[in-house]
Amino acid sequence: MALNSNGDRGQHWEAQLRKGSLEMAILSILWKGRLYGLEILRCLADKSQLQVAEGTAYPILARLKAEGLLQSEWVEAEAGHPRKYYWLTPSGRRRAQEMAEGWKDFSASLAVLVEPVLRGK
Amino acid sequence: MTNLTATRNEQIENYLTGLDGALKGVRREERDEILREIRTHILDSLPDNPQAGVEPVLRALGAPERLAEQYQTEFLLTQASHSFSPWLLLSTAWRWANTGVRGFAVFMVSIVGYVMALGFLVTVLLKPFFPDRIGLWVGHGNFVFGATGPRAGVHEVLGSLYIPVTMLLAFGTAVGTTHALRWLMRTRRRLAH
Repeated sequence: MALNSNGDRGQHWEAQLRKGSLEMAILSILWKGRLYGLEILRCLADKSQLQVAEGTAYPILARLKAEGLLQSEWVEAEAGHPRKYYWLTPSGRRRAQEMAEGWKDFSASLAVLVEPVLRGK
Repeated sequence: MTNLTATRNEQIENYLTGLDGALKGVRREERDEILREIRTHILDSLPDNPQAGVEPVLRALGAPERLAEQYQTEFLLTQASHSFSPWLLLSTAWRWANTGVRGFAVFMVSIVGYVMALGFLVTVLLKPFFPDRIGLWVGHGNFVFGATGPRAGVHEVLGSLYIPVTMLLAFGTAVGTTHALRWLMRTRRRLAH
């Protein structure tokens, strides 16, 4: 019972962590160029462990665009239907940089804390 | 195969119709943009095999109502966190209140703040009609701001300053509540995502 409870809490914590880093992950994925929604989702799944529910990613993309961090454009594709491509605006690039730097500092300071825990494995 | 394609298209249309209906409150042009993007997503996600069903793709997107709810919350929080409209802030806080304890706490803050501001304003409007009953009353450990009946040992201290002071108070409370809500909504967006 106790193990189950800890396991559930652990999963909940992990889910919150993933959710919390989603905005940074999306901005980072778009750092190198334009991508459309499904490409962003596939990148998130392939390059990170962020298996995002599709229904979660699209509303976030819409919000980031509404906040002026992303710009978008419909582009005709060979698939026979146009696709909506996203890219970072200058303020989106600034936000991505701030988040990446904040994340680096944060994870470095936490790494020091968890090192003894990992060594005790 | 034609039948399968027709069924698949019908399922997609049904999903998008459901999403369109559930996106109430989102502007028409934004709604059309969402529907177009989700349609593209579904078509891109379909396997090459034309006989494959569309159900797994729709399941992965979630129920139209749930997807619409996420869009509405994102749009409303974005709009509200940049807005000074108490109505928009209150309605957004109400929607947020339905999603958890933090949202409920924010909604309570908004209700208390705006009701206090409104209460101050009402006493300002009533002051000319009931000059002896409305004021700031102090004395014998009593402190009553607003309306009160005649009491022994207390006296009114603001006099003719009651109206400007209370108007300032009403304005300050409304502005303070508005700024607090905008800040909480901006913070929520960063915390949640």
